[in-house]
Amino acid sequence: MFDFWSYDFMRYAFLSALILGPTCALLGVFVTLRGMSFFSDALAHSAVTGVALGFLVHEQWHWQVDPFVSVLAFSFLLASGMAWLFHKTTLKPDTVIAFAFTGSVAFGVVVISKLGKYRLLDGCLFGSIYANGPADLWHQGALAVVVVGLLAWQSRAYTLSTLSPDLAHVQGLRTGWLNYVFALLIAATVTVCLKMLGALLLSALIVIPPAAAKLVAQSFRQMVICSILIGLFAAGTGVIASYHWDVPTGPCIVLTDVACLLLCYTLHALRKTA
Amino acid sequence: MQLEHVGVRYGKNWALQGVDLDIWRGDILAFIGPNGAGKSSLLRAILGLVPLAEGRIVLDSHSAPLRIGYVPQRLDFDTSFPITVSEFLTLNLPQQPLWTRGLKQHQRHLKRQALARLQCEHVFEQKLGALSGGQFQRVLLAAALLREPELLLLDEPASNIDRRGSEDLHQLLLQLHADLGLTLIFVSHDLHFVSHLATRVGCLNQSFCGLGPPSEILCEHFLAETYGSAFQPRQTHF
Repeated sequence: MFDFWSYDFMRYAFLSALILGPTCALLGVFVTLRGMSFFSDALAHSAVTGVALGFLVHEQWHWQVDPFVSVLAFSFLLASGMAWLFHKTTLKPDTVIAFAFTGSVAFGVVVISKLGKYRLLDGCLFGSIYANGPADLWHQGALAVVVVGLLAWQSRAYTLSTLSPDLAHVQGLRTGWLNYVFALLIAATVTVCLKMLGALLLSALIVIPPAAAKLVAQSFRQMVICSILIGLFAAGTGVIASYHWDVPTGPCIVLTDVACLLLCYTLHALRKTA
Repeated sequence: MQLEHVGVRYGKNWALQGVDLDIWRGDILAFIGPNGAGKSSLLRAILGLVPLAEGRIVLDSHSAPLRIGYVPQRLDFDTSFPITVSEFLTLNLPQQPLWTRGLKQHQRHLKRQALARLQCEHVFEQKLGALSGGQFQRVLLAAALLREPELLLLDEPASNIDRRGSEDLHQLLLQLHADLGLTLIFVSHDLHFVSHLATRVGCLNQSFCGLGPPSEILCEHFLAETYGSAFQPRQTHF
């Protein structure tokens, strides 16, 4: 069962899944409770534009830009822009997300068509976890440290402001600043995870584990722990299953997540009828 | 605390204009008025949740920074969020270093004590989203008391509870006022609740139409001026 460990690419893919699965699941607890699932989806899809802009800079000015850097920079810009619009305008968040999402993807597709590099879309949309190397693992490890560190340090502020921004403000918690940081954290997570699942499936890694955990948890603490365990289990199992059945890894991880969700829903339904 | 010519504006519309008010230690001050009169805006201005478009709020310069507690009318949160009352109260405790000796036991004691004071210790492990209106109101009050406030602001405290619950809450607030020496400021539509609890009543309609003891203010003249001439005093329960 563990013969996959003898291949470098499988080892990297498995370790990558074990780092990113629980990290995204932890972040996802706050993303889903704040109703920002669509926000992470929008950032994932706008990665197309980040990659396209990196290539545009290379074509126009002959500067070699690492796609990771161009996607990260564009995601930060888009996340900051959306967070600013949430805060400063009367537009509803779903409206802001919808026009930022579709606008940026449309722009990315125009740039890609002009450059004639349609193959870029494949990598962005579906990802390729087997292309992971040691450098990617370092990026992912650093992301995990930042996400866990920040959410642990500011857990009270993020949880209370999820329940009531007013109560958080009265207690002297700087919610405006924290909201910007949270938006940037989602942007960084999406950028780092893009290689693993691609834009189409990435938000499953963030949204499904906390949604499943919420169904069975009896407290917030339990929800956080269950979400992390489901994220870890689904990512690890997905990679192993994809190796044994010779199917793409991303969909395998997402399907394991969905299976966990269905199991949790069944447990939830059984508890309600008992 | 003194409010000097305070005004709050949302876009081009003034919610409050030219409000002058002295708040004294130990006051039980109620704001009444029709919808859109600026009652909640006044509370939010005192709490610093909305910027002042004009005027200023001055604290007694000789005292330390005022500890303020706030009980919102409701929390707009996903009721399937499985947070327990105990966890919610932890979020409202003053922060102490994690390495403080016996921190968890101390916090547990404080939380149980706050709930016991409000006669709802039995909801300690229950989910916040599963509480009744009255229980929820008490938990919000317990959360506010954990920070040992000198000034407690309540937005429509009796709005989500029945008449019996409202009378219990009235007794509870009087008890807290007597035991802890709190200054209470609240907004309410319930004139029965206001007349029995408040020591001063402010009739608001963007600015004060009247301010004084309930016996003087809750009369036909001021109520008609605040709510308009269609106001029917017989419909209230004094």
